[in-house]
Amino acid sequence: MSEKKLHNRSFEVFGKSKFFASQLRIALRNCGYIDPENLDDYLNVRGFEALAKVLTGMKSEDVIAEIKKAGLRGRGGAGFGSGLKWELVAREKSDQKYVICNADEGDPGAFMDRSIIEGDPFTVLEGMAIAGYAVGSDKGIVYIRAEYPLAITRLEKAIDAARKANLLGNNILGSKFSFDIEIRLGAGAFVCGEETALMQSIEGHRGMPRPRPPYPSASGLFCKPTLINNVETWANVPVIIVEGSQWFASVGTEKSKGTKVFALAGKITNTGLVEVPMGTTLRHVIFDIGGGIPKGKNLKAVQTGGPSGGCIPVELIDTPIDYDSLAKVGSIMGSGGMIVIDEDSCMVNIAKYFLEFTQSESCGKCTPCREGTKRMLEILTRITEGQGKEGDIEKLERLGNTIKKASLCGLGQSAPNPVLSTIRYFRNEYEDHIKNKKCTAGACSKMIRFEINDKCIGCGACYETCKFDAIEMI
Amino acid sequence: MKTPLEILKEKKDAAEKHLKEQGYFSKKRVYVGMATCEIAAGSKEVMEEFENAKRSGLDIYLSQKGCAGRCHVEPTVEVIDPEKGSVLYTQVDPKKAKEIIQKHIIGGEPLAEGEK
Ligand SMILES: Cc1cc2nc3c(=O)[nH]c(=O)nc-3n(C[C@H](O)[C@H](O)[C@H](O)COP(=O)(O)O)c2cc1C
Repeated sequence: MSEKKLHNRSFEVFGKSKFFASQLRIALRNCGYIDPENLDDYLNVRGFEALAKVLTGMKSEDVIAEIKKAGLRGRGGAGFGSGLKWELVAREKSDQKYVICNADEGDPGAFMDRSIIEGDPFTVLEGMAIAGYAVGSDKGIVYIRAEYPLAITRLEKAIDAARKANLLGNNILGSKFSFDIEIRLGAGAFVCGEETALMQSIEGHRGMPRPRPPYPSASGLFCKPTLINNVETWANVPVIIVEGSQWFASVGTEKSKGTKVFALAGKITNTGLVEVPMGTTLRHVIFDIGGGIPKGKNLKAVQTGGPSGGCIPVELIDTPIDYDSLAKVGSIMGSGGMIVIDEDSCMVNIAKYFLEFTQSESCGKCTPCREGTKRMLEILTRITEGQGKEGDIEKLERLGNTIKKASLCGLGQSAPNPVLSTIRYFRNEYEDHIKNKKCTAGACSKMIRFEINDKCIGCGACYETCKFDAIEMI
Repeated sequence: MKTPLEILKEKKDAAEKHLKEQGYFSKKRVYVGMATCEIAAGSKEVMEEFENAKRSGLDIYLSQKGCAGRCHVEPTVEVIDPEKGSVLYTQVDPKKAKEIIQKHIIGGEPLAEGEK
């Protein structure tokens, strides 16, 4: 078989422009490089070689050992060690086990998982089948939101083609291993990305989380041992098997191995998907790959981790992107949203935007999240409307910390992050809003006042154009 | 008995043969971005342009592709010449697609593109 490496192969086509030069493409290796609906194309880039290798000469423990040695951590948010998770499921004794791909992708502004499925659906199937072999499962399920029609179509076609080629189904590639994959559609609720809620939803119940333990590895879907990983996590698996855990572990930092895909958005010149080695600095992603801030504006902060993440101020722009460094500065890696904020944005307003999202997506099962996020939002709304009161900041902090500690699932446990991190780094903006009733960025529209100063010569231009007849001639 | 790797090798060889028959390794290959984002930026019309040209006899290997991540310059099209390498086109509309067909694919002269 062709010995060309799997990763970075697409650069043969894309060349080394500034946007691509310092990227390293593992999960996105085939995106934009092959025809996603053509199995021949996937086979031609060493597709399914990892699965064949595993079935030919590796025991299930060997596969798990490889994933562990690679240091792969979940790309869906929490960054849990994937090898360990696989091992926990493999250890369970059960007549039925499930392997789930979490393609719910609920973070606003995130589209990494959609792009992987639309650009390279076979790699997700291959990753899942390898895990099926490793943990002893014959049934895979992709849970994907119904708002991704093209991704769903491509997945269906890929599953069909793989079945016809005996790459899924019974006795895959002539071996004793059987594995098939089904698709389940979600209705696009953010909370249904949370693993226990997701399984409830597949079972036909309302998507609400339940307390853990028991963890899905012991009792997941239909109370059977269940392995759940994110789309991007799956896309890494074939590369680890073919190129080896040693190579994979040589990329990244000590505790965060491999790469991470980010959806770069906001006030940035090159919006798009970038995949960089862990440990790359935020500065490098924003200024070198992203091309900096448009219109000559200054960078103010970066928001990572979507509605569960935090805002990192420009002073910390040299923070390396890895699970632990981001957590240290009060944010999270999350699933890979990266929103660039320039000097024209008001941090209070941004915190409010994210909290509005989590508050409306809160499922209502536990009180801290249901009531707490609502109260926090009320306070924030007051502040942005110029009605902030002394003590509001402290109240937000107290509420936020309580919600984090007392909520049932990750939604509530992380919902206060955007507020707490902006208070941590931009407290002065909150104070300005509350004490001086001023929004320096001019983003909180209810707080803006206009005054005509002494330079006015009475030319009448504003009188002529005012749409609201607010200028009177006396 | 054949091992899974051997069976896969057969499948891979068959795939390669199949691609070869379609001119994958000999013709100019044209890839049009057809992910949700590319389609939203207007790539369906671009694809149609190439499809029509192919139907009227243009000898190319035409394929769709997923999103390479360059949202700011979509729709994107790549023309890969087996000998001369690849040229990346950005913000392609039907008019630009016609130019690519005329000047690059037929005329052999790639259009000038700035680095994006
Ligand atoms: C509110 C909430 C939403 C989540 N949404 C997603 C999601 O959209 N996609 C995803 O892969 N994981 C999501 N997660 C994380 C999952 O619960 C789970 O940790 C993940 O699917 C495990 O896969 P990984 O180990 O590969 O990251 C979410 C978690 C929470 C608390």
